[in-house]
Amino acid sequence: MSMEEQDLLRSAVKEFAQKSIQDRALKIEHEGIDSALLQSLAAQGFLGARIPEKYGGSGIDLHGYLTIINELATFSPSVSALVMLVNSVHAALIGDSEPEVMKKLATGEATVAVSFSDVLEGSWTATSLQKSGNGMKGAIQASTLHNSQYAIAFNREDGHLYLFRNGVKALEEDSGLSFRGLSNGPLEIDSTDFTVLSDRGLESLKNVVDSLDLEVAAIALGTAKGALDKAIDYVKVRKTFERPLKDYGPVGNGLSKLMAEYLALSSLLDTVDEKDERARLTLKVLSVDFAKRATKAALQYHGGYGYIEDTGVEKFYRDAMGLSILFQRPHHDTMRLSKEIFGEKSGYL
Amino acid sequence: MDFDFPEDINNARKKAQEFARKEINSRMAKEYDRKEKFPEELRKKAFEQGLVDYTNPWSMLVTIEELCRADPGLGISATVSLFGAEVIMLFGSDAQKQKYLTQVQTGEKIMGLAVTEPGGGSDVAGIKTRAVEKDGKYILNGAKMFITNGTIADFFVMLIRTEEVEGKRHHGLSAFIVDSDLPGFSKNKLSGKLGVRATNTAELILDNVPVPKENLIGEPGKGFYYIMTFFNISRAYVAAQAIGIAQGALDRVLEHLNRLTKEGNTALAEEVQFLAADIATRIEASRLITYKAASYLFQFRPNPTLTSMAKAYASETATFAAEKALEITGYSGIMGDLERFFRDSKIMEIWEGTSEIEKLIISRNILKEYAEVA
Ligand SMILES: Cc1cc2nc3c(=O)[nH]c(=O)nc-3n(C[C@H](O)[C@H](O)[C@H](O)COP(=O)(O)OP(=O)(O)OC[C@H]3O[C@@H](n4cnc5c(N)ncnc54)[C@H](O)[C@@H]3O)c2cc1C
Repeated sequence: MSMEEQDLLRSAVKEFAQKSIQDRALKIEHEGIDSALLQSLAAQGFLGARIPEKYGGSGIDLHGYLTIINELATFSPSVSALVMLVNSVHAALIGDSEPEVMKKLATGEATVAVSFSDVLEGSWTATSLQKSGNGMKGAIQASTLHNSQYAIAFNREDGHLYLFRNGVKALEEDSGLSFRGLSNGPLEIDSTDFTVLSDRGLESLKNVVDSLDLEVAAIALGTAKGALDKAIDYVKVRKTFERPLKDYGPVGNGLSKLMAEYLALSSLLDTVDEKDERARLTLKVLSVDFAKRATKAALQYHGGYGYIEDTGVEKFYRDAMGLSILFQRPHHDTMRLSKEIFGEKSGYL
Repeated sequence: MDFDFPEDINNARKKAQEFARKEINSRMAKEYDRKEKFPEELRKKAFEQGLVDYTNPWSMLVTIEELCRADPGLGISATVSLFGAEVIMLFGSDAQKQKYLTQVQTGEKIMGLAVTEPGGGSDVAGIKTRAVEKDGKYILNGAKMFITNGTIADFFVMLIRTEEVEGKRHHGLSAFIVDSDLPGFSKNKLSGKLGVRATNTAELILDNVPVPKENLIGEPGKGFYYIMTFFNISRAYVAAQAIGIAQGALDRVLEHLNRLTKEGNTALAEEVQFLAADIATRIEASRLITYKAASYLFQFRPNPTLTSMAKAYASETATFAAEKALEITGYSGIMGDLERFFRDSKIMEIWEGTSEIEKLIISRNILKEYAEVA
């Protein structure tokens, strides 16, 4: 996709988000992404952006896809993460072996719950699935989109990764720290209809998490931008000591420097070569760190209003932190980057 | 110079730790957070067991620290029901002390301090809420924003404009005791806070609220000075809240790392060790500044520069600790107490003087001191 096409796509996503997400962003945090929004994301071709056209997706290229999730994140990181999950996790794990499921994913007819708890850093929890007659049963302590029809989960007993087509039951939702629009919570599985997606399940899950370098960078930058836009608008009109906040050095210059950082990282993202591992990792590591700093400053410059959800800035702060833990293995990523820099395993002690 | 606390303060700390162990747990903290519910029973128990006693400020300081270490939302809720009492204690009449302070000191009643308005909190002199004298009463009109204990307090100490003084914005402000059941007084609970969700926060609307003249605190027009004096006291307690949060985050990091070395049988990465060391060092530094500021304060020789340093540094330590703790513990942190500590800690840099305002106070004071010596 050329830069002009990317710009056009960005405008289209923005227009869509202004109409369909902006005023509902808080409702999405409280109640999740409803099927109407899912359908309209699909109708625009955003939901199945990377899914091949034969399954009802848009089959667009990487940069177009990154533009979509980047722009969606400026309005709702949860909606953006949903698009990432559908394309880069669910579709990537399910692949061509399940055309029916792929079609439902691309069109928003169904969603898939997925749990990364077995592979994320710092995790003590593991899914506990067991064979039971011809079926499989178990509990999954936390997953995204837990109220889905399908679920992907790892079975420690046999080391396989499964797709469950029935018997997926959502237990009580827990809003948790971040990506509240994704409806996170525990699952119960009691299924008789399932397929093995991989016989090296743990490795497949790790690979899929590690493959999200550019998606995570795009969401991080969109999240930061969403927060910075709000802060910049706010400090122009909010006055203390009879002056607009923007006139104070730490506020005006602080936000300007963050915006400059955003522009530098964004231009890297717009042109990154997906085969360049070092560039991918650089973008991910820097963008996630940047998002944490930018969203924190944006919240702070809103004063007390930043602390209240109605203002719409605190979600960016929560999601920037959540992004670095739920869709990334940060320690592992830093080591990957060190290996790129030193040409051999480094920084592991 | 002796850096150790005397035995009675150590005992107060132990007592608070014991109370926290018995009365606060993760499940409960999570429930109150998710439901945004004020823990009235916990607050009552804390009074019954003699934990909340602001006449013993050192014990109170370490008690706040220990309860916030167990859980910030619950710890603050249990200890904040006398918020603003020092204004009455220092500047109120005997009758006001008798009528209002006695019952908040026993925990029977709850009070709050209402300074911030929708139009501003940092700029205290910019207050717009007005009081006009009429028929032997003050008639109050305006709004107060983000007021802790807002819908549950029996009365508030409020800073109100009684006079416009050309070119001197901080003149003409007066402090009042305002009963919350007066006609024209309404409250809107603010829900959906990022953190400290067990605490009660509200917007207060004053629509022709008639306040008896005897509820004016001290002299008219001196309110700004009274409130600034109060902030010099309360900021030491906020620093204690922040230290408690940072320590609570470190406790959970150490628990995680201990488990990691035992179960994983591996040496800890140096990056993680350094982060834990940084958190611990900042907590120690925060304690030293806070205890020093408190020492001056509790001997009636307040040092506003030190108090602001304590409040700003301890608050930034709390957010640093909670953030790094989540980074170290990763998925288990986000699924456990630490995600709450991360959300709760951010308020420390905002309420009772944002970090930016504290830094302005510090630099203004050190420049003034320099100029005086030079
Ligand atoms: C949960 C909660 C509970 C609270 N409880 C109470 C209470 O009980 N009583 C009460 O009176 N208030 C209370 N507050 C209000 C709190 O004290 C204020 O939010 C705080 O003082 C900041 O004021 P503000 O929100 O109006 O921000 P503003 O004053 O509008 O400031 C916005 C931002 O600009 C920055 N800023 C302002 N001026 C400057 C400058 N000159 N240079 C650089 N930066 C600057 C600030 O630091 C801040 O980051 C509470 C707030 C919350 C969120």
